[in-house]
Amino acid sequence: MINTQRSASGSSQSPRSPSSQPYLSVSVTDPVKLGNGVQAYISYRVITKTNFPEYQGPEKIVIRRYSDFVWLRDRLFEKYKGIFIPPLPEKSAVEKFRFSAEFIEMRRQGLDLFVNRIASHPELQQSEDLKTFLQADEETMERLRSQDTGYFKKKPADLMQIFKDVQSKVSDVVLGKEKPVEESNPEYEKLKHYIFELENHLAEAQKHAYRLVKRHRELGESLSDFGKAAKLLGACEGDALGKAFSELGMKSEALSVKLQREAHQLLMNFEEPLKDYVRAVQSIKATIAERANAFRQQCELAETMKLKEINLDKLMLTRSDKVGEAEIEYKELKAESEDSTRRFETIVRLMNEEIVRFQEQKTLDMGIAFHNFSKGQARLASSIADAWRTLLPKLEACSSS
Amino acid sequence: MINTQRSASGSSQSPRSPSSQPYLSVSVTDPVKLGNGVQAYISYRVITKTNFPEYQGPEKIVIRRYSDFVWLRDRLFEKYKGIFIPPLPEKSAVEKFRFSAEFIEMRRQGLDLFVNRIASHPELQQSEDLKTFLQADEETMERLRSQDTGYFKKKPADLMQIFKDVQSKVSDVVLGKEKPVEESNPEYEKLKHYIFELENHLAEAQKHAYRLVKRHRELGESLSDFGKAAKLLGACEGDALGKAFSELGMKSEALSVKLQREAHQLLMNFEEPLKDYVRAVQSIKATIAERANAFRQQCELAETMKLKEINLYDSF
Repeated sequence: MINTQRSASGSSQSPRSPSSQPYLSVSVTDPVKLGNGVQAYISYRVITKTNFPEYQGPEKIVIRRYSDFVWLRDRLFEKYKGIFIPPLPEKSAVEKFRFSAEFIEMRRQGLDLFVNRIASHPELQQSEDLKTFLQADEETMERLRSQDTGYFKKKPADLMQIFKDVQSKVSDVVLGKEKPVEESNPEYEKLKHYIFELENHLAEAQKHAYRLVKRHRELGESLSDFGKAAKLLGACEGDALGKAFSELGMKSEALSVKLQREAHQLLMNFEEPLKDYVRAVQSIKATIAERANAFRQQCELAETMKLKEINLDKLMLTRSDKVGEAEIEYKELKAESEDSTRRFETIVRLMNEEIVRFQEQKTLDMGIAFHNFSKGQARLASSIADAWRTLLPKLEACSSS
Repeated sequence: MINTQRSASGSSQSPRSPSSQPYLSVSVTDPVKLGNGVQAYISYRVITKTNFPEYQGPEKIVIRRYSDFVWLRDRLFEKYKGIFIPPLPEKSAVEKFRFSAEFIEMRRQGLDLFVNRIASHPELQQSEDLKTFLQADEETMERLRSQDTGYFKKKPADLMQIFKDVQSKVSDVVLGKEKPVEESNPEYEKLKHYIFELENHLAEAQKHAYRLVKRHRELGESLSDFGKAAKLLGACEGDALGKAFSELGMKSEALSVKLQREAHQLLMNFEEPLKDYVRAVQSIKATIAERANAFRQQCELAETMKLKEINLYDSF
């Protein structure tokens, strides 16, 4: 999944030599904890390798923190309506896990994926804001970040509330509750229905995948505890029985390690991709809301324009001196209406392309995730079976004596 | 383990024909729930196959309940001091599991093991009380059971308290806290020490074995939930991806069944034998206490006798 996103972006195969093919490749690495106490945060190295003429190349390294990524996401969301902006990993609500090694690594991977998806998107990679994010020095970034009065620039509690508002607004808008102004497009209806159903089922699957991880861990811990107890028994008993207990104990402890390792693999290579999929779908829902807004705006302007037209005709008939003013107003309105229509049509066009890309990428990603899951489980089952099988002859020696 | 206990007991190989070899074989089967509400209990069929002359043979079937087995254990404990009386499965404290299929089966196996160990013990199998237990009709058994003012004939809470008293008394006695009257026998000291250490370690191991069972179950349940969710996703997606989700879901559910089955096997064939081992060790501790009591009694009487002897001579 990471590999397909990170490779050369944009242009298709060309006869030009490799070194002159345009490429933009980014990696997010080296998380470092900075600051103290409540102010503490993690900073990341963002390494950009590119030959894009607008960029300082071939390599540039900057230091970024989570809120910088949020800034980039917000800017792209504002500017590229119709495009599914890649999702960010969540801000952790639980304080005590914020600096755990596992959480930091999962976040780093999520951020790396985020930036690379942007860098390999034909439209988004052209973004000025992306260039700023990848190239500007830290002071500039900090200034931009604090200036941002963006949608999501709020405290976590507010953020949740806003998100919920967006969610319900999306539902309202999409279900046409606000005004009976909705596209009557059966294909699009199917898509919206699919996205909503998908989100529910995905969230369920992801929740259970997480529980699977937890259960693997717990089984591993129990096996370890049991192993220790069995070894103590072995030391207490003598001869064959004692030996049998000890062997059983050692095998249990060895398997416990394998189980814990598999739990970690499951988390990183299976549960996390599922979570990523959920976030992607939520991003699509936000785009659906934007499209509905654009459609409604277009309709409202078209109506207003009709009214102005009727009014203008009336004024012209009565040869009122307000005609001039009204004409200007009408022209402005017409331009606005055409803009709005153009904006809406752009969103529709972009979304159609995005859907295709999304389906393809998702099929690829989930295929890899399932493959990893099954491989990991098969490996685990195999080592468990081997471990107990090799123990059997040693135990048989004990029961026959 | 069950097989070695259930086969013909007592005598070693002899040139006599198989049918005239003495045998005593018992099975505890067919648990049936009787009575209503709080009075409800489980009854078992106890089938005895034997050619012992004192017994009504070759086969006799009686109906017994848990408290009948308790009666037998108490009588044997009183009469055969020095012998490790086989342990009984516990009386369940948790009301809601008392009639679960798994608990009933575990108890039935435990009772079957209990009786067969007695029947294959060279001394215990001669017991009159065993004969009564295996042969008497239900009314006689009920009468004997209610007459019994035995050690353990108390309410469960009292029973726990008595058991705790016995435990501490055993510890006191064995550690020689009650009176400085103890055997000075190094071999026996080693045995006592081993038994106490063994009990602790076994209880630990058994506790963790039980947790293992629980974790297997939980993993199985999670796999099942995940499988269902994956199948729903499969129905929602199309083509290749949908098929992949469905396959993943079905595999998960199939594995879940296997895991739950394994958890059950673990419980019956691994955790339960460990628990049985713990009970056996506790039975040995009770015997250790009896031995200490007997030793102390012997010492006291010896002392008293000396004093009386001295007294007697004085009077001459």
